[in-house]
Amino acid sequence: MLEALIQGILLGGYYAVLAAGLSLMFGVVRFINLAHGDMAVLGAMIALWFVQGVGLSVSLAIAVTLPAMAALGWLMQRLIFERALRGGFLIPILTTIGLGAALQNGMFGLFGSETKSLGAHIGGLSWASWELPGGIFLGQLPVYMFLTAIVVLGTLHLVLTRTAFGRAVRATATDADAAALCGIDARRVHRGAAAIAVALAGLAGIFLALRAQVTPFAGPMLLIFAFEAVVIGGIGSLRGTLLGGIALGVAQALGGLISPQFSILAGHVVFLTVLGWRMSQVAAADRGGWRSAYAALILKHKTAGGKR
Amino acid sequence: MTEFASPTALPSHGGISRRSFNRLIAGSALAAPLIGTRAFGQDAATFKIGYIGPQSGPLGIFGAHDGYLIDAIRANLAGGIDVGGSKMNVEIITADTQSDPVRASQITRDMINSEAPDLILTHSAPETVNPVSDACEAGATPCLSTVAPWEAFYFGRGGKPGEQSFKWTFHFSFGSGNFVNLYDGQWSLLETNKKVGTLIPSDADGNAIRAGLLPAMAEKGWDVVDPGPYENMSQDFTTQIEAFKSAGVEIVVCFPFPPDFPVFWRQAAQRGLAQQLKVMQMAKAGLFAAEMEALGDLGQGLCTGVYWHPAFPFSSTAAGLSNADLGKAYEAATGAQWAQALGASASLFDAAIALAQHSGNPKDKEALAATLPKLKAETAVGTVDFSAGPVPNCAVSGLAGGQWNKAAEGPFQFQLDLVSNADFPQIQLTSDFKPLAFG
Repeated sequence: MLEALIQGILLGGYYAVLAAGLSLMFGVVRFINLAHGDMAVLGAMIALWFVQGVGLSVSLAIAVTLPAMAALGWLMQRLIFERALRGGFLIPILTTIGLGAALQNGMFGLFGSETKSLGAHIGGLSWASWELPGGIFLGQLPVYMFLTAIVVLGTLHLVLTRTAFGRAVRATATDADAAALCGIDARRVHRGAAAIAVALAGLAGIFLALRAQVTPFAGPMLLIFAFEAVVIGGIGSLRGTLLGGIALGVAQALGGLISPQFSILAGHVVFLTVLGWRMSQVAAADRGGWRSAYAALILKHKTAGGKR
Repeated sequence: MTEFASPTALPSHGGISRRSFNRLIAGSALAAPLIGTRAFGQDAATFKIGYIGPQSGPLGIFGAHDGYLIDAIRANLAGGIDVGGSKMNVEIITADTQSDPVRASQITRDMINSEAPDLILTHSAPETVNPVSDACEAGATPCLSTVAPWEAFYFGRGGKPGEQSFKWTFHFSFGSGNFVNLYDGQWSLLETNKKVGTLIPSDADGNAIRAGLLPAMAEKGWDVVDPGPYENMSQDFTTQIEAFKSAGVEIVVCFPFPPDFPVFWRQAAQRGLAQQLKVMQMAKAGLFAAEMEALGDLGQGLCTGVYWHPAFPFSSTAAGLSNADLGKAYEAATGAQWAQALGASASLFDAAIALAQHSGNPKDKEALAATLPKLKAETAVGTVDFSAGPVPNCAVSGLAGGQWNKAAEGPFQFQLDLVSNADFPQIQLTSDFKPLAFG
């Protein structure tokens, strides 16, 4: 039980990093990036290329990949997402589906379909562990990844709450027009947010390549976990995303304890429960309380039936 | 399917369609053979073979060698084949399923309607062979397939035991019986406590294996510890690892979705399970050297079933090469390491040529379909004999036991050694079966 809880929390750090970029994009730019998982895979592929093709060490490759991904995010916001956003609600979704397909096939063409992993390049670290009293094993890599997640998300939180850029981001997220009136260049803020989001996706992809393996077509599955963590934690809140990721990881680990078959299902159930709860909360807020919300729900059905 | 955002599940409506992009980036190499063969044109004395397989997408690695193989076969068969004393040209057309069952079905129908091939060949995973075979059955076109457990092909498509359930579609491959044979034979080579942990997901393959293999292994005296089915893409295997550790298993056998294996195996090493094991037996995962390279030191000593190996003492008539030469020629031509899929695909063409010759009239689909149930062909994976099959539409090919070892020399990191040969007494082993020595 304790063992599963610890593993679940460590897994949650990875989910949180995966979800943070998605959450940031949606919270600030109001843009749902369905290619987020594919961008994570792209980050992993770029890092792998630096290691295997160029011969950099893993840490150096990570240090080079993240700025490259940030630059890519800036460019994509500048060249693609901004235009897509002007086209209404549906266009960004279709654009990012297309972008995802393009990324998958592009990576397939460039890097091939073979599975790749960074784990092979970090020697014993990929399986090293500490044994705690009570026979509990703590994998060193999961612990390092969790700490990195905390540091990265914590730093980002500080940037958003304490700096001028963070203030601009929050202002734009709240009301882009009002922020613009106060002299904030919303487009610049959006590009900055996109750069951070794509860099975070790249970091998550690198985590994936360290703990597992990547193939060019692994993106869509990552997107599901990222979405779930975002919804559980609340959109647009980094602290929420971290907690959402941990909740998802813990749910999967504890679900696996009941039966291995419940592992992923437990994550989905938590996600659906939270989603249902949030929706009924919104309904309750709209109607001034639970009772009137439910009454409205029932009455609506009645009137609809009456009209027929 | 849970991949709601997968481009294969949703048609792309944007300016960049998946297909056009694919043609631009990766497709140019795949499209080239199609254009090349058109030049042959269609004439009555040409045996037209349609070759449908995954060349891109998650199963794309099974088709990675197609470009080389098709070229080699075309070159070898340029002078035509001998059918009933006269020469007949062979034309090969190819199509890519993109690893998508729906697309596999559609491109098969398209190929039957527009190209009218005399025979269709397909390979690799039920996700490919089942939809292609169904489309061939509906389109009254003979079809030969391989590399998917024959039970998944036959029962998965509604076949009934004891009768010929399909007129046009035939399959040769390994089945759960091969695994029993292989595992019992190979694991008995080592001194173990006979306790076997199983890691089997709740997917189509997994359910078939759990129902078929586990009772048979128990019957042979292996003490099976099954923590139960799990879902593909699980990220945490604590429950299974703890179950294996507390039961003291020395052998683990797994049938995972390939990307799940490194997650499990690294966690197993983190928690001391890998250090306790003598045998780590993989199926479905572990077929390709790239997977071992991705594991690094953790890949040393892992075991897998082998359905083709350059050391198999057979040859490919279609490619005109012995297995050893086929492996060498592939590596020389591409610079990439051979993989089992290369010989398996070659065996399809071997069987196709034998079929054309046995039937006497390959342009007659009815004649081909009538010949298939009694076809006996020498191929790169050994003798394929449909008259001896477990069911009338299937023939069983063999599995040997392989173990991944760090390559002693050469450009590649890992080599696949043959360490047991329950199904093929005639093959030479290339190495002794060694217990895992990890940690």
